[in-house]
Amino acid sequence: MIQDIADALVQSWRNAATASVLFVPRLVAATIIFAAGFVVSLLARRAIRRLLAWLRFDRLSLRTGASEMLRMADMPTAEVLIAKVVFWMVWIGFIVSAVDTLHLRPVQGLVNEFFRFVPRFLVALLVLTLGFLVGNFLWRATLLASVNAGLPGARLLSGALRILVIAIGVVMALEQLGLATAVVLTAFAIMFGALMLGLAIAFGLGGRDAAKQLLEQQFRAKKERDTDAAPHL
Amino acid sequence: MVQTSHPLRTLHRVVAPYHGLPGKHTALRTVFAAGELTQAKALVVIDPSGRGTAAERVTELIGPIARSDVEFLAPRYRRHPHDGVLITQLVRPLVRALYGVALDEPLGAEFACSGRFASHCLDKDIWNREAARFAIDLWLRTEAVAERFTVGQIWHPAPTATGTRTTLRETVHQVVLSLIESVRAHESFWLKANGATELRTWGSDPIVMPEAATWDYQALADQARHDIVEIKPLLEEVLEPDVFARVTDDTSGAGSPLDDELWVRIVYAFAAATRLGHTGIEHLADMFAPLYMWRASAFMAHTALESPDIVQARLDSLCETFQRLKPVLVASWSVEV
Repeated sequence: MIQDIADALVQSWRNAATASVLFVPRLVAATIIFAAGFVVSLLARRAIRRLLAWLRFDRLSLRTGASEMLRMADMPTAEVLIAKVVFWMVWIGFIVSAVDTLHLRPVQGLVNEFFRFVPRFLVALLVLTLGFLVGNFLWRATLLASVNAGLPGARLLSGALRILVIAIGVVMALEQLGLATAVVLTAFAIMFGALMLGLAIAFGLGGRDAAKQLLEQQFRAKKERDTDAAPHL
Repeated sequence: MVQTSHPLRTLHRVVAPYHGLPGKHTALRTVFAAGELTQAKALVVIDPSGRGTAAERVTELIGPIARSDVEFLAPRYRRHPHDGVLITQLVRPLVRALYGVALDEPLGAEFACSGRFASHCLDKDIWNREAARFAIDLWLRTEAVAERFTVGQIWHPAPTATGTRTTLRETVHQVVLSLIESVRAHESFWLKANGATELRTWGSDPIVMPEAATWDYQALADQARHDIVEIKPLLEEVLEPDVFARVTDDTSGAGSPLDDELWVRIVYAFAAATRLGHTGIEHLADMFAPLYMWRASAFMAHTALESPDIVQARLDSLCETFQRLKPVLVASWSVEV
Protein backbone atom coordinates (compact mmCIF):
# COMPACT_ATOMS: atom_id res chain seq x y z
CA MET A 1 0.00 0.00 0.00
CA ILE A 2 2.78 2.40 0.86
CA GLN A 3 4.35 1.48 -2.43
CA ASP A 4 1.07 2.33 -4.22
CA ILE A 5 0.98 5.73 -2.56
CA ALA A 6 4.58 6.34 -3.46
CA ASP A 7 3.90 5.27 -7.05
CA ALA A 8 0.90 7.60 -7.24
CA LEU A 9 2.97 10.50 -5.90
CA VAL A 10 5.80 9.79 -8.35
CA GLN A 11 3.33 9.53 -11.24
CA SER A 12 1.66 12.77 -10.20
CA TRP A 13 5.04 14.48 -9.98
CA ARG A 14 5.99 13.12 -13.39
CA ASN A 15 2.70 14.37 -14.89
CA ALA A 16 3.23 17.79 -13.37
CA ALA A 17 6.80 17.89 -14.60
CA THR A 18 5.72 16.83 -18.11
CA ALA A 19 2.96 19.42 -18.15
CA SER A 20 5.40 22.08 -16.96
CA VAL A 21 7.94 21.07 -19.55
CA LEU A 22 5.23 21.46 -22.17
CA PHE A 23 3.77 24.67 -20.68
CA VAL A 24 6.89 26.70 -19.88
CA PRO A 25 8.01 27.13 -23.50
CA ARG A 26 4.51 28.20 -24.37
CA LEU A 27 4.56 30.66 -21.51
CA VAL A 28 7.89 32.05 -22.66
CA ALA A 29 6.60 32.33 -26.22
CA ALA A 30 3.44 34.05 -24.99
CA THR A 31 5.49 36.52 -22.98
CA ILE A 32 7.67 37.28 -25.99
CA ILE A 33 4.59 37.78 -28.15
CA PHE A 34 3.06 40.02 -25.48
CA ALA A 35 6.16 42.20 -25.21
CA ALA A 36 6.74 42.31 -28.96
CA GLY A 37 3.12 43.25 -29.44
CA PHE A 38 3.53 46.21 -27.12
CA VAL A 39 6.52 47.46 -29.07
CA VAL A 40 4.79 46.96 -32.43
CA SER A 41 1.69 48.75 -31.12
CA LEU A 42 3.77 51.72 -30.03
CA LEU A 43 5.38 51.86 -33.46
CA ALA A 44 2.00 51.57 -35.17
CA ARG A 45 0.61 54.39 -33.05
CA ARG A 46 3.52 56.64 -33.91
CA ALA A 47 3.25 55.78 -37.61
CA ILE A 48 -0.46 56.53 -37.68
CA ARG A 49 0.02 59.88 -35.97
CA ARG A 50 2.68 60.86 -38.48
CA LEU A 51 0.51 59.73 -41.36
CA LEU A 52 -2.48 61.71 -40.11
CA ALA A 53 -0.32 64.78 -39.59
CA TRP A 54 1.02 64.47 -43.13
CA LEU A 55 -2.54 64.12 -44.47
CA ARG A 56 -3.53 67.25 -42.45
CA PHE A 57 -6.25 65.28 -40.74
CA ASP A 58 -6.61 67.98 -38.11
CA ARG A 59 -8.06 70.36 -40.70
CA LEU A 60 -10.56 67.76 -41.83
CA SER A 61 -11.67 67.13 -38.29
CA LEU A 62 -11.94 70.88 -37.70
CA ARG A 63 -14.01 71.32 -40.87
CA THR A 64 -16.39 68.49 -40.01
CA GLY A 65 -16.85 69.69 -36.45
CA ALA A 66 -15.30 66.58 -34.95
CA SER A 67 -12.66 68.62 -33.14
CA GLU A 68 -15.25 70.78 -31.48
CA MET A 69 -17.35 67.83 -30.36
CA LEU A 70 -14.36 65.99 -28.94
CA ARG A 71 -13.23 69.14 -27.18
CA MET A 72 -16.66 69.59 -25.64
CA ALA A 73 -16.61 65.95 -24.50
CA ASP A 74 -13.20 66.56 -22.91
CA MET A 75 -11.64 63.93 -25.13
CA PRO A 76 -8.30 64.01 -26.94
CA THR A 77 -8.07 65.24 -30.51
CA ALA A 78 -9.23 63.06 -33.39
CA GLU A 79 -5.69 62.15 -34.45
CA VAL A 80 -4.73 61.12 -30.92
CA LEU A 81 -7.95 59.14 -30.59
CA ILE A 82 -7.41 57.28 -33.85
CA ALA A 83 -3.80 56.55 -32.93
CA LYS A 84 -4.95 55.15 -29.57
CA VAL A 85 -7.55 52.95 -31.24
CA VAL A 86 -4.91 51.57 -33.60
CA PHE A 87 -2.54 51.01 -30.67
CA TRP A 88 -5.09 49.02 -28.70
CA MET A 89 -6.29 47.03 -31.68
CA VAL A 90 -2.80 45.93 -32.60
CA TRP A 91 -1.85 45.16 -29.01
CA ILE A 92 -5.05 43.27 -28.28
CA GLY A 93 -4.37 41.24 -31.41
CA PHE A 94 -0.97 40.31 -30.01
CA ILE A 95 -2.41 39.61 -26.55
CA VAL A 96 -5.00 37.31 -28.06
CA SER A 97 -2.26 35.61 -30.01
CA ALA A 98 -0.19 35.23 -26.87
CA VAL A 99 -3.10 33.72 -24.96
CA ASP A 100 -3.79 31.37 -27.85
CA THR A 101 -0.18 30.18 -27.70
CA LEU A 102 -0.79 28.90 -24.17
CA HIS A 103 -3.34 26.42 -25.59
CA LEU A 104 -5.71 26.94 -22.70
CA ARG A 105 -8.89 25.06 -23.51
CA PRO A 106 -11.43 27.73 -22.43
CA VAL A 107 -9.84 30.31 -24.74
CA GLN A 108 -8.96 28.16 -27.74
CA GLY A 109 -9.95 29.62 -31.08
CA LEU A 110 -9.76 33.14 -29.68
CA VAL A 111 -7.47 34.34 -32.43
CA ASN A 112 -9.91 33.37 -35.12
CA GLU A 113 -12.73 35.07 -33.26
CA PHE A 114 -10.69 38.22 -32.85
CA PHE A 115 -9.75 38.46 -36.49
CA ARG A 116 -13.36 37.87 -37.44
CA PHE A 117 -14.31 40.71 -35.11
CA VAL A 118 -11.80 43.28 -36.40
CA PRO A 119 -13.47 43.97 -39.79
CA ARG A 120 -16.85 44.34 -38.09
CA PHE A 121 -15.29 46.71 -35.61
CA LEU A 122 -13.78 48.82 -38.38
CA VAL A 123 -17.08 48.97 -40.25
CA ALA A 124 -18.83 49.93 -37.02
CA LEU A 125 -16.32 52.74 -36.52
CA LEU A 126 -16.93 53.92 -40.06
CA VAL A 127 -20.69 53.88 -39.57
CA LEU A 128 -20.33 55.78 -36.32
CA THR A 129 -18.08 58.37 -37.95
CA LEU A 130 -20.49 58.83 -40.86
CA GLY A 131 -23.39 59.17 -38.46
CA PHE A 132 -21.51 61.81 -36.58
CA LEU A 133 -20.56 63.74 -39.75
CA VAL A 134 -24.06 63.64 -41.18
CA GLY A 135 -25.55 64.60 -37.82
CA ASN A 136 -23.23 67.56 -37.53
CA PHE A 137 -23.93 68.75 -41.06
CA LEU A 138 -27.68 68.48 -40.57
CA TRP A 139 -27.43 70.31 -37.26
CA ARG A 140 -25.69 73.24 -38.86
CA ALA A 141 -27.97 73.37 -41.93
CA THR A 142 -31.14 73.00 -39.90
CA LEU A 143 -30.11 75.63 -37.40
CA LEU A 144 -29.41 78.19 -40.11
CA ALA A 145 -32.52 77.36 -42.11
CA SER A 146 -34.71 77.50 -39.00
CA VAL A 147 -33.26 80.79 -37.84
CA ASN A 148 -33.71 82.36 -41.26
CA ALA A 149 -37.26 81.05 -41.45
CA GLY A 150 -38.01 82.40 -37.98
CA LEU A 151 -39.03 79.04 -36.52
CA PRO A 152 -39.20 79.00 -32.74
CA GLY A 153 -36.76 76.79 -30.90
CA ALA A 154 -34.30 76.59 -33.78
CA ARG A 155 -31.49 75.35 -31.53
CA LEU A 156 -33.73 72.73 -29.92
CA LEU A 157 -34.90 71.48 -33.29
CA SER A 158 -31.45 71.27 -34.82
CA GLY A 159 -29.94 69.78 -31.67
CA ALA A 160 -32.63 67.12 -31.53
CA LEU A 161 -32.04 66.26 -35.16
CA ARG A 162 -28.32 65.89 -34.54
CA ILE A 163 -28.87 63.63 -31.55
CA LEU A 164 -31.34 61.53 -33.52
CA VAL A 165 -28.98 61.01 -36.45
CA ILE A 166 -26.06 60.20 -34.16
CA ALA A 167 -28.27 57.80 -32.18
CA ILE A 168 -29.18 56.01 -35.41
CA GLY A 169 -25.48 55.80 -36.21
CA VAL A 170 -24.74 54.34 -32.77
CA VAL A 171 -27.48 51.73 -33.15
CA MET A 172 -26.23 50.79 -36.60
CA ALA A 173 -22.69 50.50 -35.26
CA LEU A 174 -23.83 48.28 -32.38
CA GLU A 175 -25.77 46.14 -34.81
CA GLN A 176 -22.64 45.79 -36.90
CA LEU A 177 -20.69 44.69 -33.83
CA GLY A 178 -23.37 42.13 -33.07
CA LEU A 179 -23.64 43.29 -29.47
CA ALA A 180 -27.05 42.50 -28.07
CA THR A 181 -28.54 43.35 -31.43
CA ALA A 182 -32.10 42.39 -30.63
CA VAL A 183 -32.12 44.35 -27.38
CA VAL A 184 -30.62 47.47 -28.90
CA LEU A 185 -32.88 47.49 -31.94
CA THR A 186 -35.98 46.81 -29.93
CA ALA A 187 -35.12 49.50 -27.39
CA PHE A 188 -34.41 52.01 -30.14
CA ALA A 189 -37.59 51.19 -32.02
CA ILE A 190 -39.66 51.54 -28.86
CA MET A 191 -38.06 54.83 -27.89
CA PHE A 192 -38.33 56.31 -31.36
CA GLY A 193 -41.89 55.14 -31.83
CA ALA A 194 -42.89 56.45 -28.41
CA LEU A 195 -41.31 59.81 -29.13
CA MET A 196 -43.05 60.19 -32.47
CA LEU A 197 -46.37 59.01 -31.07
CA GLY A 198 -46.06 61.38 -28.14
CA LEU A 199 -45.31 64.31 -30.43
CA ALA A 200 -48.18 63.41 -32.73
CA ILE A 201 -50.63 63.20 -29.83
CA ALA A 202 -49.29 66.37 -28.24
CA PHE A 203 -49.60 68.42 -31.41
CA GLY A 204 -52.49 66.62 -32.99
CA LEU A 205 -54.84 66.46 -30.02
CA GLY A 206 -53.53 68.18 -26.95
CA GLY A 207 -51.95 71.13 -28.71
CA ARG A 208 -54.34 71.55 -31.59
CA ASP A 209 -55.33 75.08 -30.73
CA ALA A 210 -51.80 76.00 -29.72
CA ALA A 211 -50.50 74.61 -33.02
CA LYS A 212 -53.07 76.68 -34.91
CA GLN A 213 -52.06 79.83 -33.02
CA LEU A 214 -48.40 79.05 -33.54
CA LEU A 215 -48.87 78.65 -37.28
CA GLU A 216 -50.83 81.88 -37.51
CA GLN A 217 -48.18 83.69 -35.49
CA GLN A 218 -45.46 82.23 -37.68
CA PHE A 219 -47.25 83.34 -40.81
CA ARG A 220 -47.63 86.84 -39.42
CA ALA A 221 -44.09 86.92 -38.09
CA LYS A 222 -42.77 85.71 -41.42
CA LYS A 223 -44.37 88.66 -43.15
CA GLU A 224 -42.79 90.99 -40.59
CA ARG A 225 -39.46 89.19 -40.79
CA ASP A 226 -39.33 89.35 -44.57
CA THR A 227 -37.88 92.84 -44.57
CA ASP A 228 -37.72 94.47 -47.96
CA ALA A 229 -34.15 94.80 -49.12
CA ALA A 230 -34.72 97.99 -51.17
CA PRO A 231 -33.67 100.54 -48.50
CA HIS A 232 -30.44 98.61 -48.01
CA LEU A 233 -29.31 98.77 -51.65
CA MET B 1 -29.70 97.20 -78.73
CA VAL B 2 -26.04 96.91 -79.69
CA GLN B 3 -24.25 99.91 -81.20
CA THR B 4 -21.67 98.72 -83.66
CA SER B 5 -18.57 100.49 -84.80
CA HIS B 6 -19.62 100.40 -88.45
CA PRO B 7 -23.07 100.77 -90.00
CA LEU B 8 -24.94 97.64 -90.89
CA ARG B 9 -27.26 97.22 -93.82
CA THR B 10 -30.09 96.18 -91.56
CA LEU B 11 -30.55 97.04 -87.92
CA HIS B 12 -29.80 94.07 -85.77
CA ARG B 13 -31.51 93.78 -82.47
CA VAL B 14 -30.65 91.17 -79.91
CA VAL B 15 -33.36 90.63 -77.36
CA ALA B 16 -32.62 88.58 -74.32
CA PRO B 17 -35.72 88.56 -72.14
CA TYR B 18 -35.30 87.42 -68.60
CA HIS B 19 -37.79 87.11 -65.82
CA GLY B 20 -36.52 88.41 -62.54
CA LEU B 21 -33.04 88.59 -61.17
CA PRO B 22 -31.83 85.00 -61.57
CA GLY B 23 -31.74 85.32 -65.35
CA LYS B 24 -29.79 88.56 -65.39
CA HIS B 25 -26.43 86.91 -65.86
CA THR B 26 -27.74 84.93 -68.84
CA ALA B 27 -29.00 88.12 -70.46
CA LEU B 28 -25.71 89.88 -69.84
CA ARG B 29 -23.76 87.00 -71.27
CA THR B 30 -25.92 87.08 -74.38
CA VAL B 31 -25.40 90.83 -74.74
CA PHE B 32 -21.65 90.40 -74.32
CA ALA B 33 -21.66 87.63 -76.89
CA ALA B 34 -23.65 89.75 -79.32
CA GLY B 35 -21.21 92.58 -78.74
CA GLU B 36 -18.30 90.32 -79.52
CA LEU B 37 -20.02 88.96 -82.60
CA THR B 38 -20.70 92.41 -84.02
CA GLN B 39 -17.30 93.71 -82.83
CA ALA B 40 -19.00 96.36 -80.75
CA LYS B 41 -16.76 99.11 -79.45
CA ALA B 42 -18.97 99.88 -76.49
CA LEU B 43 -21.81 98.23 -74.62
CA VAL B 44 -24.26 99.95 -72.31
CA VAL B 45 -26.60 98.31 -69.83
CA ILE B 46 -29.28 100.52 -68.34
CA ASP B 47 -31.68 99.93 -65.50
CA PRO B 48 -35.31 100.51 -66.47
CA SER B 49 -36.02 101.94 -63.01
CA GLY B 50 -33.42 104.66 -63.44
CA ARG B 51 -34.35 108.29 -63.86
CA GLY B 52 -34.24 110.10 -67.16
CA THR B 53 -34.92 108.69 -70.56
CA ALA B 54 -33.11 105.69 -71.93
CA ALA B 55 -31.62 107.72 -74.78
CA GLU B 56 -30.12 110.30 -72.39
CA ARG B 57 -28.62 107.65 -70.15
CA VAL B 58 -27.19 105.70 -73.07
CA THR B 59 -25.60 108.86 -74.47
CA GLU B 60 -24.04 109.76 -71.14
CA LEU B 61 -22.67 106.28 -70.52
CA ILE B 62 -21.42 105.56 -74.00
CA GLY B 63 -19.44 108.78 -74.49
CA PRO B 64 -16.36 108.07 -72.38
CA ILE B 65 -16.18 104.48 -73.67
CA ALA B 66 -16.54 105.50 -77.30
CA ARG B 67 -13.77 108.08 -76.87
CA SER B 68 -11.59 105.35 -75.31
CA ASP B 69 -11.15 107.40 -72.16
CA VAL B 70 -12.16 104.42 -70.05
CA GLU B 71 -13.07 100.77 -70.51
CA PHE B 72 -15.54 100.34 -67.68
CA LEU B 73 -17.85 103.08 -66.50
CA ALA B 74 -19.99 102.71 -63.39
CA PRO B 75 -22.64 105.17 -62.26
CA ARG B 76 -22.13 107.10 -59.07
CA TYR B 77 -25.04 108.45 -57.05
CA ARG B 78 -25.42 111.24 -54.56
CA ARG B 79 -27.03 109.15 -51.84
CA HIS B 80 -28.38 110.19 -48.51
CA PRO B 81 -25.87 108.77 -45.97
CA HIS B 82 -28.67 106.71 -44.45
CA ASP B 83 -29.52 105.17 -47.79
CA GLY B 84 -28.13 101.90 -49.11
CA VAL B 85 -26.80 100.64 -45.79
CA LEU B 86 -25.63 97.33 -47.27
CA ILE B 87 -23.53 99.30 -49.74
CA THR B 88 -22.15 101.84 -47.29
CA GLN B 89 -21.51 99.44 -44.41
CA LEU B 90 -20.18 96.44 -46.28
CA VAL B 91 -19.77 96.41 -50.04
CA ARG B 92 -18.25 99.83 -50.66
CA PRO B 93 -15.68 99.89 -47.83
CA LEU B 94 -14.69 96.27 -48.44
CA VAL B 95 -14.18 96.72 -52.17
CA ARG B 96 -12.36 99.98 -51.55
CA ALA B 97 -10.00 98.40 -49.02
CA LEU B 98 -9.32 95.23 -50.94
CA TYR B 99 -9.12 96.53 -54.48
CA GLY B 100 -7.57 99.89 -53.69
CA VAL B 101 -10.04 101.98 -55.71
CA ALA B 102 -12.58 104.51 -54.47
CA LEU B 103 -15.48 102.90 -56.31
CA ASP B 104 -18.68 104.37 -54.90
CA GLU B 105 -21.20 101.89 -56.23
CA PRO B 106 -19.81 98.39 -56.51
CA LEU B 107 -23.34 97.11 -56.96
CA GLY B 108 -25.49 98.55 -59.68
CA ALA B 109 -27.43 97.35 -62.65
CA GLU B 110 -26.21 100.11 -64.96
CA PHE B 111 -22.80 100.28 -66.49
CA ALA B 112 -20.97 100.74 -69.75
CA CYS B 113 -17.95 98.83 -70.95
CA SER B 114 -15.74 98.43 -73.95
CA GLY B 115 -16.05 95.54 -76.36
CA ARG B 116 -12.62 94.39 -75.24
CA PHE B 117 -13.80 94.08 -71.65
CA ALA B 118 -16.93 92.21 -72.72
CA SER B 119 -14.84 89.73 -74.72
CA HIS B 120 -12.53 89.32 -71.74
CA CYS B 121 -15.47 88.48 -69.44
CA LEU B 122 -16.85 85.90 -71.88
CA ASP B 123 -13.68 83.85 -71.42
CA LYS B 124 -14.20 83.60 -67.67
CA ASP B 125 -16.00 80.71 -66.01
CA ILE B 126 -18.06 82.97 -63.73
CA TRP B 127 -21.22 82.53 -65.76
CA ASN B 128 -22.03 79.07 -64.43
CA ARG B 129 -21.37 79.91 -60.82
CA GLU B 130 -24.05 80.54 -58.23
CA ALA B 131 -22.72 84.03 -57.45
CA ALA B 132 -23.24 85.09 -61.07
CA ARG B 133 -26.96 84.51 -60.81
CA PHE B 134 -27.52 87.28 -58.32
CA ALA B 135 -24.77 89.87 -58.24
CA ILE B 136 -22.90 89.66 -61.50
CA ASP B 137 -22.58 93.45 -61.51
CA LEU B 138 -20.30 93.30 -58.47
CA TRP B 139 -18.08 90.72 -60.10
CA LEU B 140 -17.90 92.77 -63.32
CA ARG B 141 -16.66 95.84 -61.45
CA THR B 142 -14.08 93.96 -59.42
CA GLU B 143 -12.95 92.06 -62.50
CA ALA B 144 -12.41 95.32 -64.34
CA VAL B 145 -10.27 96.63 -61.49
CA ALA B 146 -8.35 93.40 -60.90
CA GLU B 147 -7.57 92.90 -64.57
CA ARG B 148 -6.40 96.51 -64.80
CA PHE B 149 -8.98 97.80 -67.23
CA THR B 150 -9.41 101.55 -66.96
CA VAL B 151 -12.34 102.13 -64.64
CA GLY B 152 -14.24 105.35 -64.21
CA GLN B 153 -17.43 106.69 -62.68
CA ILE B 154 -20.16 108.99 -63.87
CA TRP B 155 -22.59 111.02 -61.79
CA HIS B 156 -26.15 109.92 -62.22
CA PRO B 157 -29.37 110.68 -60.40
CA ALA B 158 -30.04 107.99 -57.82
CA PRO B 159 -32.44 105.33 -59.09
CA THR B 160 -35.92 105.30 -57.63
CA ALA B 161 -36.24 102.87 -54.77
CA THR B 162 -38.69 100.23 -55.89
CA GLY B 163 -39.50 97.16 -53.85
CA THR B 164 -37.29 94.19 -54.50
CA ARG B 165 -38.49 90.66 -55.03
CA THR B 166 -36.03 89.33 -52.53
CA THR B 167 -36.06 89.70 -48.77
CA LEU B 168 -33.22 91.35 -46.93
CA ARG B 169 -31.81 87.99 -45.80
CA GLU B 170 -31.79 86.64 -49.33
CA THR B 171 -30.19 89.82 -50.63
CA VAL B 172 -27.46 89.74 -48.00
CA HIS B 173 -26.90 86.05 -48.77
CA GLN B 174 -26.56 86.78 -52.48
CA VAL B 175 -24.30 89.78 -52.02
CA VAL B 176 -22.04 87.90 -49.62
CA LEU B 177 -21.75 84.99 -52.07
CA SER B 178 -20.83 87.41 -54.80
CA LEU B 179 -18.25 89.13 -52.60
CA ILE B 180 -16.73 85.75 -51.73
CA GLU B 181 -16.59 84.87 -55.42
CA SER B 182 -14.81 88.12 -56.25
CA VAL B 183 -12.41 87.89 -53.33
CA ARG B 184 -11.43 84.33 -54.24
CA ALA B 185 -11.10 85.07 -57.94
CA HIS B 186 -8.93 88.15 -57.44
CA GLU B 187 -6.81 87.20 -54.44
CA SER B 188 -3.53 87.64 -56.31
CA PHE B 189 -4.57 91.25 -56.98
CA TRP B 190 -6.02 92.42 -53.70
CA LEU B 191 -3.39 90.79 -51.51
CA LYS B 192 -0.93 93.31 -52.92
CA ALA B 193 -3.22 96.32 -53.49
CA ASN B 194 -3.20 99.15 -50.99
CA GLY B 195 -4.51 102.66 -50.63
CA ALA B 196 -7.66 103.85 -52.39
CA THR B 197 -7.07 105.48 -55.78
CA GLU B 198 -9.67 108.05 -56.76
CA LEU B 199 -11.35 107.21 -60.04
CA ARG B 200 -11.95 109.73 -62.77
CA THR B 201 -15.56 110.88 -62.61
CA TRP B 202 -17.62 112.31 -65.46
CA GLY B 203 -20.77 114.36 -65.21
CA SER B 204 -21.66 116.88 -62.54
CA ASP B 205 -22.33 116.15 -58.90
CA PRO B 206 -26.07 116.53 -58.25
CA ILE B 207 -25.21 118.02 -54.79
CA VAL B 208 -28.83 117.75 -53.70
CA MET B 209 -29.37 114.37 -52.17
CA PRO B 210 -32.71 112.61 -52.07
CA GLU B 211 -34.36 111.74 -48.80
CA ALA B 212 -33.49 108.36 -47.37
CA ALA B 213 -36.15 105.69 -47.22
CA THR B 214 -37.36 104.99 -43.71
CA TRP B 215 -37.44 101.54 -42.24
CA ASP B 216 -37.98 100.01 -38.85
CA TYR B 217 -34.44 99.49 -37.62
CA GLN B 218 -35.60 98.69 -34.09
CA ALA B 219 -37.54 95.65 -35.32
CA LEU B 220 -34.52 94.64 -37.37
CA ALA B 221 -32.30 94.96 -34.29
CA ASP B 222 -34.63 92.69 -32.29
CA GLN B 223 -34.62 90.09 -35.06
CA ALA B 224 -30.86 90.30 -35.37
CA ARG B 225 -30.24 89.87 -31.63
CA HIS B 226 -32.57 86.89 -31.49
CA ASP B 227 -30.94 85.24 -34.50
CA ILE B 228 -27.40 85.86 -33.27
CA VAL B 229 -28.22 84.19 -29.95
CA GLU B 230 -29.61 81.19 -31.83
CA ILE B 231 -26.54 80.72 -34.02
CA LYS B 232 -23.98 81.44 -31.29
CA PRO B 233 -22.37 77.95 -31.50
CA LEU B 234 -21.77 78.49 -35.21
CA LEU B 235 -20.40 82.00 -34.78
CA GLU B 236 -17.94 80.74 -32.20
CA GLU B 237 -16.32 78.61 -34.89
CA VAL B 238 -15.75 81.57 -37.19
CA LEU B 239 -15.05 84.58 -34.99
CA GLU B 240 -12.00 85.03 -32.80
CA PRO B 241 -12.77 84.61 -29.10
CA ASP B 242 -12.49 88.30 -28.24
CA VAL B 243 -14.60 89.33 -31.24
CA PHE B 244 -17.19 86.69 -30.37
CA ALA B 245 -17.30 87.90 -26.77
CA ARG B 246 -17.80 91.50 -27.88
CA VAL B 247 -20.56 90.53 -30.30
CA THR B 248 -22.43 88.56 -27.66
CA ASP B 249 -22.00 91.38 -25.13
CA ASP B 250 -23.36 93.88 -27.60
CA THR B 251 -26.32 91.75 -28.62
CA SER B 252 -27.31 91.24 -25.01
CA GLY B 253 -28.37 94.87 -25.04
CA ALA B 254 -25.37 96.37 -23.32
CA GLY B 255 -25.86 99.49 -25.44
CA SER B 256 -22.24 100.04 -26.37
CA PRO B 257 -21.30 102.71 -28.93
CA LEU B 258 -21.04 101.96 -32.63
CA ASP B 259 -17.83 100.02 -33.00
CA ASP B 260 -16.39 100.19 -36.51
CA GLU B 261 -13.37 98.10 -35.66
CA LEU B 262 -15.53 95.27 -34.33
CA TRP B 263 -17.60 95.28 -37.51
CA VAL B 264 -14.53 95.24 -39.73
CA ARG B 265 -13.02 92.35 -37.77
CA ILE B 266 -16.26 90.42 -38.15
CA VAL B 267 -16.25 90.97 -41.92
CA TYR B 268 -12.61 89.98 -42.22
CA ALA B 269 -13.12 86.90 -40.02
CA PHE B 270 -15.85 85.71 -42.36
CA ALA B 271 -13.70 86.47 -45.39
CA ALA B 272 -10.83 84.46 -43.91
CA ALA B 273 -13.21 81.62 -43.03
CA THR B 274 -14.02 81.18 -46.72
CA ARG B 275 -10.37 80.51 -47.35
CA LEU B 276 -9.86 78.15 -44.44
CA GLY B 277 -12.84 76.09 -45.58
CA HIS B 278 -14.00 75.04 -42.11
CA THR B 279 -17.53 76.04 -42.98
CA GLY B 280 -19.26 75.95 -46.35
CA ILE B 281 -19.70 79.33 -48.02
CA GLU B 282 -23.47 78.93 -48.23
CA HIS B 283 -23.57 78.46 -44.47
CA LEU B 284 -21.22 81.40 -43.96
CA ALA B 285 -23.49 83.62 -46.05
CA ASP B 286 -26.49 82.53 -43.97
CA MET B 287 -24.59 83.16 -40.75
CA PHE B 288 -23.57 86.62 -41.87
CA ALA B 289 -27.11 87.90 -42.47
CA PRO B 290 -28.03 88.39 -38.78
CA LEU B 291 -24.69 90.11 -38.17
CA TYR B 292 -25.35 92.53 -41.00
CA MET B 293 -28.84 93.19 -39.67
CA TRP B 294 -27.36 93.89 -36.25
CA ARG B 295 -24.81 96.31 -37.68
CA ALA B 296 -27.30 98.06 -39.98
CA SER B 297 -29.79 98.62 -37.18
CA ALA B 298 -27.04 99.78 -34.80
CA PHE B 299 -25.78 102.23 -37.43
CA MET B 300 -29.26 103.66 -37.95
CA ALA B 301 -29.99 103.84 -34.24
CA HIS B 302 -26.75 105.69 -33.49
CA THR B 303 -26.98 108.12 -36.40
CA ALA B 304 -30.71 108.73 -36.64
CA LEU B 305 -30.47 112.22 -35.18
CA GLU B 306 -27.14 113.20 -36.74
CA SER B 307 -26.82 115.53 -39.68
CA PRO B 308 -25.98 114.05 -43.10
CA ASP B 309 -22.49 115.60 -42.97
CA ILE B 310 -21.65 113.89 -39.70
CA VAL B 311 -23.05 110.58 -40.93
CA GLN B 312 -21.03 110.90 -44.14
CA ALA B 313 -17.93 111.51 -42.03
CA ARG B 314 -18.69 108.26 -40.16
CA LEU B 315 -18.96 106.40 -43.46
CA ASP B 316 -15.61 107.78 -44.58
CA SER B 317 -14.09 106.78 -41.26
CA LEU B 318 -15.48 103.27 -41.70
CA CYS B 319 -13.75 103.01 -45.08
CA GLU B 320 -10.48 104.04 -43.44
CA THR B 321 -10.96 101.40 -40.74
CA PHE B 322 -11.42 98.74 -43.40
CA GLN B 323 -8.18 99.85 -45.04
CA ARG B 324 -6.29 100.11 -41.77
CA LEU B 325 -7.23 96.57 -40.73
CA LYS B 326 -6.64 95.02 -44.15
CA PRO B 327 -3.29 93.52 -43.01
CA VAL B 328 -5.29 91.38 -40.56
CA LEU B 329 -7.19 89.83 -43.45
CA VAL B 330 -4.05 89.48 -45.54
CA ALA B 331 -2.35 87.62 -42.68
CA SER B 332 -5.35 85.31 -42.15
CA TRP B 333 -5.70 84.69 -45.87
CA SER B 334 -2.04 83.84 -46.26
CA VAL B 335 -2.21 81.00 -43.72
CA GLU B 336 -1.38 77.75 -45.46
CA VAL B 337 -4.39 75.46 -45.82
